[in-house]
Amino acid sequence: MELSLNHRKEGDRTVLEVGGEVDVYTAPKLREKLVELVGEGNYQIVVDMTKVEFLDSTGLGVLVGGLKRVRSHDGSLSLVCNQERILKIFRITGLTKVFPIHDSLDEALQDTE
Amino acid sequence: MDDVELRLPPDVAYVGLARLVVTVAARQAGLPGERIEDLKIAVSEAVANAMKSHVRHGVVAPVRLVFGTKDPGFFAVSVTDAGSGFDPSPPAVGADRDWALESGLGVTLIRGMADAVEFSRDGGMVVRMRFSIAANGISALPPSAM
Repeated sequence: MELSLNHRKEGDRTVLEVGGEVDVYTAPKLREKLVELVGEGNYQIVVDMTKVEFLDSTGLGVLVGGLKRVRSHDGSLSLVCNQERILKIFRITGLTKVFPIHDSLDEALQDTE
Repeated sequence: MDDVELRLPPDVAYVGLARLVVTVAARQAGLPGERIEDLKIAVSEAVANAMKSHVRHGVVAPVRLVFGTKDPGFFAVSVTDAGSGFDPSPPAVGADRDWALESGLGVTLIRGMADAVEFSRDGGMVVRMRFSIAANGISALPPSAM
């Protein structure tokens, strides 16, 4: 399945909905989208990964890159993920300590850090 | 299931195909559903590293996968590249990717997902991964069903 990317504003947050497969082949599109959003001044980003079916290390690298980008503008990047198979990837790589990860979009939007 | 060999052109566009083919074979071999997810990740990482190595070193030869259940109770996959392996060589000047970070995470994922993994050199790099087929996983398909 191809990668799908949709974004919208939710108050002061920008929600990027990612769906499908984020792998070594498709991740560059996610990278471009994050670069574009930050370039347009979106520094409070919530990446909704509820519809992600596959995520690999390139995808993780892109998310880490996105986090570095928003942090350089004092921004934040949090994730919405409730799928065990995806959460396992964050746990194994120790990235659960790097990203705020929420069960639902509502929870992510309520988190004011 | 006898060993099956798959040769893929060194292009990351084929990583998804490798994932699909190996996943179908593992399912037929009786690997349980939750382990299929682990296998998908590990195979993708190993194949992606091999492909990136070929691309970086200008190797046009295919990346080779061999998988099967010759080792009773296990679904085994080996990924062989002909490049100089994925020991992080210095990234090319101007490279916009964090190769070291990504291949580091990739190896961490392979180790975390497979039941056993072995890295060796045979010209290029060989990654051998094994996944245990649980006792209740029915692996009764005759070779002809493949």
